[in-house]
Amino acid sequence: MKRIIRTLPFVIKQIIRSPIRTTLTLGGIAIAMFLFSFVESMRDGVTAATTATAEDATLVVYRENRYCPFTSNLPEFYSKKIERIEGVANVVPVQIMVNNCRASLDVVTYRGIPEGDLEKVLEPGWRIEDGDSASWMRRGDAAIVGEALAARRGLSVGDSFTAAGITVFVSGILESEAPQDRNVAYVRLPFLQESMKRGGTGSTVTQFSVRVNDPTTLDVVANAIDETFEHDEFPTSTRSEKAFVGQAAKDIIELVGFASWLGWGALFTVFALVANAIIIAMRDRIRDHAVLQTLGFTGSLIGAMVIIEGALLGLAGGAIGVFAAWLVTRIGRYSMTMEGLNVEISSDPFILVIGITVALALGVLAGIVPAWRVSRLEISQCFRAV
Amino acid sequence: MSLIECRKLSRIYNRGAEEIRPLDQLDLRIDAGGFVALMGPSGSGKTTLLNLLAGIDRPTSGELEIGGLSLGDLSRKELADWRSEQVGYVFQLYNLVPVLTAYENVELPLLLHPISSGERHRRVSAALDVVGIADRHSHYPRQLSGGQEQRVAIARAIVTEPTLLLADEPTGDLDRESATAVMELLSRLNKEQGRTVVMVTHDAKTAQYADVLLHLEKGRLIEQEEMAS
Ligand SMILES: Nc1ncnc2c1ncn2[C@@H]1O[C@H](COP(=O)(O)OP(=O)(O)OP(=O)(O)O)[C@@H](O)[C@H]1O
Ligand SMILES: [Mg+2]
Repeated sequence: MKRIIRTLPFVIKQIIRSPIRTTLTLGGIAIAMFLFSFVESMRDGVTAATTATAEDATLVVYRENRYCPFTSNLPEFYSKKIERIEGVANVVPVQIMVNNCRASLDVVTYRGIPEGDLEKVLEPGWRIEDGDSASWMRRGDAAIVGEALAARRGLSVGDSFTAAGITVFVSGILESEAPQDRNVAYVRLPFLQESMKRGGTGSTVTQFSVRVNDPTTLDVVANAIDETFEHDEFPTSTRSEKAFVGQAAKDIIELVGFASWLGWGALFTVFALVANAIIIAMRDRIRDHAVLQTLGFTGSLIGAMVIIEGALLGLAGGAIGVFAAWLVTRIGRYSMTMEGLNVEISSDPFILVIGITVALALGVLAGIVPAWRVSRLEISQCFRAV
Repeated sequence: MSLIECRKLSRIYNRGAEEIRPLDQLDLRIDAGGFVALMGPSGSGKTTLLNLLAGIDRPTSGELEIGGLSLGDLSRKELADWRSEQVGYVFQLYNLVPVLTAYENVELPLLLHPISSGERHRRVSAALDVVGIADRHSHYPRQLSGGQEQRVAIARAIVTEPTLLLADEPTGDLDRESATAVMELLSRLNKEQGRTVVMVTHDAKTAQYADVLLHLEKGRLIEQEEMAS
């Protein structure tokens, strides 16, 4: 073990003093690990947006068989009826408006809600930062903007911005654990309805956000709501918010599922790059290894040095790529938006840890076979081979 | 007192059905502190013998004792440790590690020894001084002449203070002037530091530095000559 530590500088010199080989290898590893991390960030975002937790207590009531905020129209007065259903804690009518119907990483989603209902509709654990809640009350065009959306657009309190032809005033930045809340702008319902009025939306809304008293009754309450409007002119379809995202953003989720293959491919690439670099180095260093053995280096020590070289390549390349991906997701705060629902590209630091660990492990793995072969070399044969 | 004793030492390689016997029932004694030149035609088994003495190859049969230790009984790992303590090896083509400087090449064998880095530095500098190349310590092998490279290689071989210094045609690739410098150095290491030197050479002039000449042919010792000094 002490010998391994004493030979570490030698291993590092072998890496550093082949700058072209090292740069190319590290560059490749970094790019592959960037890709891997980015895919992981997307997967993490999907998990956060669609995985139900035991505390989830929010239902979304949508128009039956509709998935698009422009076609889901429900009468605002439904909220009175829903409120009376057993197990319902509160109901908030929500109007959704997006500025962009195409797939994009920078969609602005407005959620119009009645003036006093902000606290009811937000998922627990929120905090309004730099908030001037008074201006949310005072100004008709006030918006409480989710932190991710604000970061993406570079918005701070007091700014005005325009999206979808609607200009709003930023009166607070919303911090939240909930991906949806982080990525939308809450505005007042009448203001949004007014702004959108091009052909009589009247007093209709897109959906209702329903909070239940007891999370375990989520399904029961959902069924009760749908039964209430079953024979109505506008039948509803009610699901938990996470399930709703899973359904409405299905295309994005499938895309991310497909991207996972890219992630696996990236890992294989890392393995192949390290293995290739090491195998070529082994061929170049047959004579060096024979010399080392002549000097008294044991086969296992030389094998350990090879594995450490693989580990260092994986670690260095991985760290560069993973950190770059993390910076991009951190600064960009991207969110894949579909039908007004957000699937974030996560910038959880945990992904850094996973990525670097994986790269290190792949480096070690790629070094094992060459190391084993090198450790068994017969010295007298080596000198004959060169 | 003899340092090395070979009794009926044989090394046999099987190349397909064919059997090659580079060393055939060799009997040999080499005294501690001696300077031995191994001579003989190409293919006579000189390098094979040297590799056996260095413990980087193993005898097929017969006995090889060095300093009272029977090399055939040692495991691979024990042999490696023994080499790192007792043997310095000098190659015809120097075999310095190209990515390391002269200093780092000489330091290499000391990485196996449990000594402080200060002590390591002291020993490397001393070895570079002995071979007269201290001013080139930060040069890479490609920046050195053949004679300088070989002197660095000798420094690497002696830095662990081995009892046995083995050299396979150490001047084979050098011009006359560099060859003389290298031979005087080896001679000095033998006389002043008391290291036993076994050197393979084709060259009669080089062989004159030795005090015993051994002539090999077809894997056998055919003549042993004591040189008057
Ligand atoms: N590992 C091996 N496998 C097969 N044959 C070998 C091996 N090592 C040596 N030989 C054979 O053994 C014989 C002696 O080789 P050796 O290298 O000892 O000769 P040498 O006296 O050093 O010759 P030279 O002066 O050319 O260096 C040669 O015929 C060589 O081909
Ligand atoms: Mg030879």
